[in-house]
Amino acid sequence: MSNPILHEREFMKTLLLNGLLPLEKQRTVQSLYYILRGRKGNQTVQDVYLFRLHPYYRLFPKFSREYWEEIIASLKAQRLLQLEADDRAKTKPTFLLTAAGKQFLREGVEQYQLDNWLEPIRRVAANEQLQSQWLKLHLLVQTVSQLLHRDIAFYPVVQQRSIQQWVKEQLGVPSERERWMNELVGELELLLQAFPERLQQLVVRQFSGAGQTGSTLPQLARQWQEPPSFLWVKLLHCLAVMAERIQAEQGENFPLLHRLFTADQRTSRQLSDSAAHTWRLLRQNLSIAEIARQRRLSPNTVEDHLVEIALLYPDWDISPYISDREQREIQTLSSRLQTRRLRLLKNHLQDKYSYLQIRLALARQKGAVYDD
Amino acid sequence: MTIKEQRLHEALQHYYGFRTFRPGQLEIIQRVLAGRSVLGLLSTGSGKSVTYQLPAQLLPGITLVVSPLISLMVDQVQRLRMRGKFSAVYLNSSLEPAETRRLLSEVEQGRYKLVYISPEKLQQPNIQQLLARRGVSLVAVDEAHCISQWGHDFRTDYLRLPEIVQKLGNPPVLAVTATATEEVQREIARLFHIHQEDIVSQSLNRGNIAYDIIAVTDEAEKREKIIEAVAKLHGPGIVYCRTRQAVEQFVATCQLAGLDKVEGYHGGMSAMDRVLIQEQFLRDELSVIVATNAFGMGIDKPNIRYVLHYHFPGSIEEYTQEVGRIGRDGQPGYAALYFAIEDLAIHQHLSQAEYPEPAVIELFVASLRAKTGLKLAYPEIAAGLDLPETQTELLLFYAEQAGLIARSDRPPYGVQVNSGFPADAANRIGQRIERARQAKRTKLTQMVNWLQQKGCYRQALAAYFGSTDDLGYDLYCCSSCGLQRIDYEQDVSRLTAALPETNWNLHEALRMLLPVELYNRGGHHH
Ligand SMILES: [Zn+2]
Repeated sequence: MSNPILHEREFMKTLLLNGLLPLEKQRTVQSLYYILRGRKGNQTVQDVYLFRLHPYYRLFPKFSREYWEEIIASLKAQRLLQLEADDRAKTKPTFLLTAAGKQFLREGVEQYQLDNWLEPIRRVAANEQLQSQWLKLHLLVQTVSQLLHRDIAFYPVVQQRSIQQWVKEQLGVPSERERWMNELVGELELLLQAFPERLQQLVVRQFSGAGQTGSTLPQLARQWQEPPSFLWVKLLHCLAVMAERIQAEQGENFPLLHRLFTADQRTSRQLSDSAAHTWRLLRQNLSIAEIARQRRLSPNTVEDHLVEIALLYPDWDISPYISDREQREIQTLSSRLQTRRLRLLKNHLQDKYSYLQIRLALARQKGAVYDD
Repeated sequence: MTIKEQRLHEALQHYYGFRTFRPGQLEIIQRVLAGRSVLGLLSTGSGKSVTYQLPAQLLPGITLVVSPLISLMVDQVQRLRMRGKFSAVYLNSSLEPAETRRLLSEVEQGRYKLVYISPEKLQQPNIQQLLARRGVSLVAVDEAHCISQWGHDFRTDYLRLPEIVQKLGNPPVLAVTATATEEVQREIARLFHIHQEDIVSQSLNRGNIAYDIIAVTDEAEKREKIIEAVAKLHGPGIVYCRTRQAVEQFVATCQLAGLDKVEGYHGGMSAMDRVLIQEQFLRDELSVIVATNAFGMGIDKPNIRYVLHYHFPGSIEEYTQEVGRIGRDGQPGYAALYFAIEDLAIHQHLSQAEYPEPAVIELFVASLRAKTGLKLAYPEIAAGLDLPETQTELLLFYAEQAGLIARSDRPPYGVQVNSGFPADAANRIGQRIERARQAKRTKLTQMVNWLQQKGCYRQALAAYFGSTDDLGYDLYCCSSCGLQRIDYEQDVSRLTAALPETNWNLHEALRMLLPVELYNRGGHHH
């Protein structure tokens, strides 16, 4: 039997290198870790937008530090990745993919067909939402299964109160409950038919219900001899494809599942709570200093909020902070130097602009990622 | 049987379907119903929860259950709801604020007889006032040993409980625990004003468990021996490891050896995977769980036949809790611990990860001082220090205790850094942490002493808990007194019965799960 742990590592190396590539020479290696965990901090949210890493954002919310370090260490040991020593000791080192690293990545992407799997996830760009939709679907299927088997004493597989609450609301009204009980199976079948058999199994065999305890992803992975993380990516892929199809055909074929898959459109483009608060004050024409004072935050934190707002609200006018002409100057330089590193840009511009100005200008730069 | 006793038996039958009480239960319940405060010492698996759940149904007001473990609380309430005869709710930090508000108003309206609450939630004055208004008939303190500074699991917010009981109008207290030395018992009784005659102690001896201590010299030998044991022993069983990595490695080894019905369980897995694995185990679809100590709290599986310890636990209390999951149905069971003194290194490592060094404490306090007067989001507090989560938690806890910071329990859940730090703040925090570290080290030493003594293990356990009058056993006592493992074995076939890969049919698979036609056909008859 081949070693499943080894399999898993090999897949992760490709997946991570693929996420690291756009960050090369721009950010630290760690920044991808924060993206994978779905950190809500401004810097991380901005990086996701700037480098178009949406499929990676919150891809593994529980990714352990140890596992991360282990994979990065082995990428370094294999000389696929190397840290870039910085001439200015103060900034944290960035990194490079070596030629061997790029070769490894090309082969891995090919072998796993990675782009195929990631593309719908990229289009939907809302992993957090997909993951909560999955939990809702899971609990819904379990509950309806128990109802259909006339056995309502069961242990819910999903413990989050908000998810349980949602399912309870769906099934609370008797007429609605009847609908779910009668029509869920048909909608699911129609939806899943479009997938190859393996992917059908991937979804259905995880469900729990009366007389069936779902399998976990690692259990399926072991049975099929596939890396568990790869199955997770495939599952998200399925969910993204499902979400897209349901939204396109909605009332037509999937009146019930449509409720589930459009439950919360906003979350993908939502400001963090704290930035939203700043946004409200900003619209009352308070200055950064005033907001900082009123909210007892440091001005730096408020500036972070501004950058977040600039990214998420393209219509917000940033010219009070930096004029259009000045924005263009920064953007042009950034393209010419092929960098988004603030310190570097600031030096080149002879400290003419503040960090905030540079960050705002970059937030508004079109075509955020460089290809090499 | 008096009329009162008969009523209690009827209630037991009605709510649980049992005809008789387990030893100790009836005595405790009678005292509690007579309005006395009681300390109940009941071994794991002897139905501690009945002693407060049943009175809750008979008393006029709320029964408050204070429990330190969120997962345990959620689990108990979930299972009570499954049974459908109890109106129970839990309040802890896992709930969203809106949800908490809604539940609190339901508590106020009197919808719940049983309210499970975490000690830190109970610290909130508004919740205390609400409960006092509604009327609390009984405060049950689960895992009561957590109140003792000498215990293996001291929790500071437990120390404030006696004061809170007063604020609730001094209802009787039922403190229950399965692991308390005599010293700890005395402390619990003193703090909750429990009279000596109201300490109800059922023997902590588990006569149906045999203790096997097996010395091993290295990792390879250990792994080989445990694999062999898992393959031979009559399940279901649990293998306890101290680290997640050990769990994963051992599971992988088992699977490579062709033992398919073995799965891992640890805190690093997703919440849903943990529920699924636990359910598979409860339904006997799996026969062995390899787990960290995250597994087993509050699970109700009476037919666990063995527990193996891959690493020794950090205290005798933890050990008894873990092996206590064996044989709750009263049938004989087997507890084996594979002892390698080298495993001390793992405990050392865990303890290093758990407790911050003095230099780190200094840095932490200095970074707080620089943020005086600011309100910070939770992750910003220790940002830049790059500490493990547990250390951050611990430091924040002691910083709060020392009055350096105040947490807000309203969104956005910031932390307010107070001004006017005492100059020796870092020192004071350091001393508190050092004391905690020392206490833990002592527990570990006692564990190792127990393993290294050559006498009867059962007797030494009993002596540790200060009650040597019951040393009875069913099948075998322990490896010092002599035991035959073969009596706990079975043939191997049960472990390798993997599911055959059948032909996949989406239509049928979905209809098994959601048999709508079957339901509608059945519906006409009803
Ligand atoms: Zn003995």
